Amino acid sequence: MDAATKRIAMQRIRTLFRLAREIFHEDPALAQRYVDIARKVAMAAKFRLSREYRRQVCRHCKSFILPGVNCRVRIKQRREPHMVITCLNCGEQLRIPLRKGRRKQSHE
Amino acid sequence: MKVTPEIIRYEFIGTEVKVAKSRNPGYVGIAGKVIDETRNTLTILHEKKRKIVVKDSAVFHFRFSDGTVVEIDGKLLVGRPEDRLKKRIRRLW
Repeated sequence: MDAATKRIAMQRIRTLFRLAREIFHEDPALAQRYVDIARKVAMAAKFRLSREYRRQVCRHCKSFILPGVNCRVRIKQRREPHMVITCLNCGEQLRIPLRKGRRKQSHE
Repeated sequence: MKVTPEIIRYEFIGTEVKVAKSRNPGYVGIAGKVIDETRNTLTILHEKKRKIVVKDSAVFHFRFSDGTVVEIDGKLLVGRPEDRLKKRIRRLW
């Protein structure tokens, strides 16, 4: 795979996620379709979605999730400090450790 | 955006499009935003209605976000959106 393919793929994924966010409140099904295409583009180009986009997709059911709309984000202090993202479509949780000294983790 | 044969590998969802020519006279003049794409068709939001246009039989005028207008033969666009990303270096013109 050449660099040009990767560059085009990343650009397409950016566009698709932006459109998905814009259209989500009108037509969630279409937003989901855009995210599915973005994931397929990444798979075709053989690279992982960047963290920023991975956080917008449920790890379990692969649905497009937006904090406060169809997912719940909570900070827990028990054991290790961590962030729990609950997908409200499938009910599954994703835990993200929050440790000192690590670079800032963004959800947006 | 630079106009190269590579343009067929970019994303068309979200661009403004106009059907310039088509074998099906009913398609000509459909204009609006591309809202979905499948292997053989584009779904265009034309006057608040979704119109499904077969790619193979039409010539499209795409307007990308930076304002460049490009005329593309739909024959070159046949293929699933994720498959268009790859190996489409053709020299047809």
